This record gives sequence, C-alpha cells and structure tokens, in this order.
Amino acid sequence: MNYKTIFRIVGLMLLVEGAALLISLLIAWLAGGSDVMAFAWSSLACLVPGLLLVMATRKSSMMISRTEGFLIVTLVWLIFSLFGTLPYIFSRTIPGFADAFFETMSGFTTTGASVVDNLETFPKGILFWRALTHWLGGMGIIVLFLTMMPAFGIGGMQLYSAEVPGMTVEKISPRIYQTARIVWGVYVLLTLVEVILLMFGGMSLFDSVCHAFATMATGGFSTKQASIAFWPSPYIQYVITLFMFLAGTNFTLLYFAGRGKFSRLFRDEEFRYYFLFVLGFTILIFSGLLISTKLPAEQAFRDSLFTVVSVITTTGFVTADYLMWRPVLYMLVFILFFFGGSTGSTGGGVKIMRIVLLLKNSYYELRRIIHPSGVIPVKFNKHAIEPRVISNVLAFFMFYLMVFFVSTVILMIFVGDMDTSMGAVASCLGNIGPGLGSVGPVFTYSAVPDAGKVFLSLLMMLGRLELFTVLVIFSPSFWTDQ
Amino acid sequence: MKVVIAGAGEVGTHLARMLSHENHDIVLMDNDPEKLAQISREVDLMTVTGSAHSFVDLKETGLNKADLFIAVTTSEERNVLACAMASYLGVARTIARINNSEYLQARYREKLKNMGIHEFIYPESLAAKEIVSSVKLTGTRQYFEFSGGKLILMGIKIRGNAPIVNRPLEELGSLLKDIVAVSISRGNENIIPSGKDMILSGDVVYFVTNRSTQQRLFELTGKELFEVKNIMFLGGSRIAQKTIEKLGDNYRIKVIEVNRERCSMIADQFENVLVINGDGRNLDLLQEEGLAKMDAFIATTGSSEVNLLSCHLAKSIGIKRTVAEVENFALINTAENMDIGTIVNKKLIAASYIYRFTLNAEISNVKCLTSSEAEVFEFIAKPGTRITEKPVRELDFPSEAKLGGIIRGDQGFVASGNMQVQEGDKVVVFTVPSGMKKLEKFFK
Repeated sequence: MNYKTIFRIVGLMLLVEGAALLISLLIAWLAGGSDVMAFAWSSLACLVPGLLLVMATRKSSMMISRTEGFLIVTLVWLIFSLFGTLPYIFSRTIPGFADAFFETMSGFTTTGASVVDNLETFPKGILFWRALTHWLGGMGIIVLFLTMMPAFGIGGMQLYSAEVPGMTVEKISPRIYQTARIVWGVYVLLTLVEVILLMFGGMSLFDSVCHAFATMATGGFSTKQASIAFWPSPYIQYVITLFMFLAGTNFTLLYFAGRGKFSRLFRDEEFRYYFLFVLGFTILIFSGLLISTKLPAEQAFRDSLFTVVSVITTTGFVTADYLMWRPVLYMLVFILFFFGGSTGSTGGGVKIMRIVLLLKNSYYELRRIIHPSGVIPVKFNKHAIEPRVISNVLAFFMFYLMVFFVSTVILMIFVGDMDTSMGAVASCLGNIGPGLGSVGPVFTYSAVPDAGKVFLSLLMMLGRLELFTVLVIFSPSFWTDQ
Repeated sequence: MKVVIAGAGEVGTHLARMLSHENHDIVLMDNDPEKLAQISREVDLMTVTGSAHSFVDLKETGLNKADLFIAVTTSEERNVLACAMASYLGVARTIARINNSEYLQARYREKLKNMGIHEFIYPESLAAKEIVSSVKLTGTRQYFEFSGGKLILMGIKIRGNAPIVNRPLEELGSLLKDIVAVSISRGNENIIPSGKDMILSGDVVYFVTNRSTQQRLFELTGKELFEVKNIMFLGGSRIAQKTIEKLGDNYRIKVIEVNRERCSMIADQFENVLVINGDGRNLDLLQEEGLAKMDAFIATTGSSEVNLLSCHLAKSIGIKRTVAEVENFALINTAENMDIGTIVNKKLIAASYIYRFTLNAEISNVKCLTSSEAEVFEFIAKPGTRITEKPVRELDFPSEAKLGGIIRGDQGFVASGNMQVQEGDKVVVFTVPSGMKKLEKFFK
C-alpha cells in the first residue's frame, strides 16, 4: 500500500474542498449573512492541512493500484464529509456533530435526507453550501478531481471506476481525464440550462441555482422546508421533473444525444427500460390517485409523475406526501426505492441495468431448466453478457438486501418502529431522501437518535459507492494479498 | 496526437502501452473483447470492439479526428484494406503491417499511396536485418548505421580483457578520440554516462563512432574479429527465412525445423541451405549436425525459452556468435545476465520503427536498444531551434540524454564538447524515456 500517494490525494482533495468553501464564502459575503466567518474558518481548516499534506508528499508516485483506488475513494469520501460539517458547526446552524455529519454526508452522497426543521432561518451561504455538496458529490468528487489531474493515467482509471456507479466504465475518450471532463461538461451545461428555465418560472436566481444543483445531482435538498411543494407552479414542477429524469440517465448517452445522435438514446436498452419503468409506475399511481382521491386529473398526473421520477432517480424532492395516499400506492413508491437511476448517471440505488439483468437472468433460468444443455446467455444491448458480470450483479443484489435487512434490525434498536426503520434504511442506502413512517416526505430525520444518524450516514456512503468499493476494504484478502 | 491502433496482438499492445506513456491518445480496436479488457486494465486508453475492415466499426474509433492509423492485425490483407478504408474515413496517415516485401518496392509505392496506405512495417524483415548485421559484424551486440554509415552505433559487451575497463571515461581522453560512449547497461540499470563514470566488465556499452575508427574501438574493447562461415538456424520461422535471404550465398547454412511442411518449403525456397527435420531441443541431434563446428547459432523458434536455452547451450560449448529471438519482455533482462549474446525482439523493433511517426520534432530515424531502455534518435536541426544556438558544452543538455554525433552534408562527426550544431545537421541523440520531453524542446 503506497501511503504517500494516498495522503497526497487526500491533501489535494482537501484543497478542492477548501476552494468549494471559498466559493460559499463569497456567496455568504455577497448575501451579507451571519455565516461569513464560519466559512472563512472552515476553508482555512481545509486549506491548511491540505497544503501541509501536499507539501509533505511532494515526490510521490502517480501509480495507483486497484486496491489503493478503493481505499483512496472511501477515505476521500469520509474525510470530505468530516470537513464538510465545519460550516454547519461553526455557524451554529446545525451545532451537533452527528446532525452536521448526517447533513453533510446526505449532501455529498446526494441523498437529500435532512435533519433541519427550520430551513427558512438559515443564512444563504449555508443554504448554498448544502446545495453545493450535492452538486460536487453528484457527478463525483473524485471525477471532478480527475478533470484537473491529467497526469494520473491508468491510476485515474482505478479511482474513476471505484467512484462512478455501474459495472463497467464506458470511456468516451481515450484518456480517463478527458472522459471525466466530458461528463462534467455535460453536467455543468445541463445545470446551467435548468437554472435559466427555473428563472423563467419565477424562481429567484439563488433558489434556481440551489435547486438546479440538487436536481442535476439527484440530491433533494431544497431551500424551503416544504421542498418543491413551496412552488405550486406546474411549470416549475415539470421542469424539475424533466431534469431529474435527465440526471437519472446515463451521461454518456446524453453526451451523444447532445451531439445529435438521438437514436443512440433510444437504442440503448437501459434507457428504454428506464423510460418504461417511469411510464408504467406513473400510470399505475396516476390511475390509483384518480380512483381513490378527488384530485383534479392534471394535478394527480403531475404528483404521480413527479413522485415516480423523484424516487426512481433517487432525488427525493417532494410535491405531495405519498404517505397520505392509499397504502397500495405508497407501497408502489417503496418498491421504486430499490430501482435507482441508470448506470453512469448521478442517481443512486441498485441501478436500472442491474435490475433488468437480474430480471432477465431469472426469467432465462426458467428456460434453462427446460433445456438443461441449452446455451442461453443473458443479452443486453444485443450482446451476450458474460456470466462473470451476472454473478457480480447477483452478488451486488445479495449484499444490497443483506445490508438492508441487517441495517433495518440495527436501526430498530434506536428507533423502535419498523416502518420508519425500513424506510430510513432503504432511503439512505439508495440515496433517496424521504422514507416511510416518521421520516416520511413531510418530516425530517431530526428525531432519529445521534447513533442512528451516524449509522445512516455511513449507509449513505456505502450506497453511493455501490457497496463493493467500501465492502472490499473489509475483506481480509484486501490486506493480506498484497 | 491521436492514434488508432487496429489489432491488440503483441505488437499492437506494446505500441499502445508505449505511446500511451508518451501521452498520446490511443484508441485500440480488436474483435476480441477479452484481449481489450485485459489491456484496458493496465493502460489508460479507449478500446473499441470490432473488425478492422468494417466501416462502421472504424468510424466508432473516431478516425476522422485521428492523426495516425496503425493496422497491426495478424492478417496482411486485412491491414492493407483497413488502411485504405481508414484513409477514406479521413485519417491523416496510415501504417500497415505486412509480411510480404513486395509492397516495399519503390515502383509500387506511389500506387499504394494513392490507395491511402502511406507506410509499411515488416517486423520480420527488420528483425532479419538486425540479425544479419550482427552476424556480419562479430564484435558487436547491436549495430546500427546512421545516414548510410556516416556514423555508426555499436552495442558491445565488455569483458575483463578490454583495455578501457575500470577507468573513468574522462581519463581515457585521447584514447576515445572520435568515440563516444552514449549508454551503459549494467544489470537492470541503465546509465547515460558522464566523464566520471567507469566501464566495468560485463557491461553492454553503446558507442557512437565512424567507420575509420571502428577498428580501434574493437581493439579498445578487446574484441577479436573472426569470420563467420557456418551458421546454424534453430527454427525456420519467417525471421529465419528472411535472414537467410538477406545473408546471400557466402555462408554454409543449416536449418533445424520441427515442422515437416515448413522444412520442404524452406528447402524449396533456398538452394544452398541444408534443412534438417527434427526437434531443436534434442541435444544429440544438434551435436550430430555439428553444432560445435558452427561459427554462429541463430535461434528463432516460436518459443522464447527454447531460443534462450539453446543459445546458452551453444555459448557454453564455445560458439562465439549467438542470436536469440526473445519475444517475452520479462525474459530479456534475465537473458542479459545469462550470457546469451545478441537478443532480437520483433515487437521492440517494430514499435521503434513506428514510434518515429508520432514524434513532434523533425526526426528521420529512431531506434530502441534491445538491452537497454534508452532510445536513439536522429533529429534534423531546424533553423532557430535551441540546439543550434550554442556549442554543445554550454547547452545545458538534460542529464538523461547524450549527444552521439552529427552528420553534416556527407560527413559524420562524433560528438565533442566544442562542437556546435548548425541548421540542417542531422543530430544523433540518446535518451532514456524520461528525458524525451526535455529533449524535444531543443529541437522545436
């Protein structure tokens, strides 16, 4: 294990975080809020140790092995979240460490679960920092870092694949830093477009930027306690729905679509299923709402579409309290907790591609039973998927369920009630935000005890890094087979 | 520079690895996703699964924005066709790997260029050339001529009997007039020597010199020259055939080949060659065929291990000149310490040949040294470049690189401190890979 390189990257990442805090400092200063000093101290607290680490590790190698890649990414995420708590603590907006850690982790992992019950009293700088944590974490802090570091070569690839969701890394360009730049470019561009469209709908510049950050990252932090329901304008809600949907799409496909190759988008099997799932669940819930409530048709459609897209992309914005619907309808929503966005998107969860592969594999298993010597591979995008990949997906799903059930049991020790525990665990693990029971869409996580909050924060990181990156560090062979 | 390489075989992957480390953007295509997955775990490049002669697949590689297309798949026809198609799709320059010297003939070059195939690479032929020169010049490990022999590069294994051994280079002064030691390989180490360095017994030292000083260099390094008459080839591979063809009629050649069909083919092709059908690993057979009487032993079977071991054996029974084809990079260093004689690596030769097309500065020649990681470049000094500004001594030349000499007009000059490079000179420079970037600045 090359600790010098690991510390160097951690140091460089602290500098990146310090720079992000400086941007928030600027916003806080422009808004003339009470949080200016909090940001000044926080950025100093990042920049100083960051600089010291970088200076101390000047002549370190640029080579990063696979195992080091996993360790670096996990460490960076932990450290980023630890230092990210400083503005909340220094400004006394979220004074408790467990609360601040939960909020920061929820920001970077784009979960969007909050412990804040008095959002309207927060200064603008802090609100901006909350949204910025989403935006940085959405496309990935490591990916952002790689766009600035062309020198990493194949080492960058190890980092990239440990952070970016999905089973394989799809390169758009020969160099990993170029690929990172392209996806970040698409990300920045879409964010800009959303800001402009939201401003057309009458949202202020500040709120538009914060919400665009949260939408494109599939985060879910709003600047208002009531989330998107604060703006009853159908236009704003549809715009946000559209961009949530885009953020849950594979960014490689968006890049090609942006260059005029729209056919690639609809040729892609994952995108087609993603589209179908959204459509299907929306129709189910919409018709359920029409039958069971007296909502006007347009609003019923809008609420169901918004909720489905918000949950499947793991954003977690709220326009309607789904827990007030018939239980069968919120059960449908809860099933979506386990879907997640596409591979290569900013969405969390299990990912559409994995779900489709699991379903196909199970279905083909029936045919394999009828034809014991048949060669029946699982096909995706017209190509046979290697058995190794299927086994990887099966293992992932098994881990996912295991973590879900074990964590629910653990959380029930702190919380007591099962609805809340299951909802909170599924929501944090899938990086969604709102859960069930007392952590439902109109509530926050503030009532969860501190130990439970720290536990849920770690679950968010586990989910964001897609289990394997973190779990592999706890396997004995990670440390012994060197 | 953006380079598209078709064919993830040995030459292709080696090139991709080398060029990617030199900060070129590489797209590697092959129809075997397994091979591509393997290399993309090790090298930062983009891979495209597909056929080199499919328009659709070629387009996937972004050819229209690429500067260079290299077709090194196993099939010659496919390479040639792929290059023609790549040119049509808009790539600036194409290189095809071939195994048929017909394409190299000058009278067809224009026609082929019109078809969009700009350069050819024939690794077996290049390897054969290297073997021939090492057979003809018995004192050297590697022999390379610049500008038709106006300067020469010789890699020489130094033994304890050499007069220059164990003395700092600066002390040797006038002894080394018109001779520059440019690179020393010692074990796994690689030294670009300065005046304080010493040559030790067991080193492979690369010298630049000229024809008239060549003899003196052999004396200084304690080499006795002898004439090669009897040559034994182990394995009748394409390299062996090409070498026999280039050697001409003045040698008594025996070829031992295990494959019967190939035996009859070689016997059919060459008049004065005795072909023996048998397994080269059979020691009795080799001795029966007079191994001990051979002046040179050349092992080019498909197996690097067999080549190494048989050469080791040949050396141990007193054959002075041995050449082993070693395609496995991991074995090359081992071979250096095993006393094997000359080592030929097809991939390295091919790669260094292609390498020069990717360099920015004006380069007319490049050569990778087999037993050293250093490379030799022949730059053309353009007007206004830094190299022409001052005498060599004051140039602040990077320590990873060394000037070997210059060729001005018809004459070659071995480098000395007072020399000043002028416009239009060809400059022979040695560098280890880390010095390449610094070196380019002097010629841009």
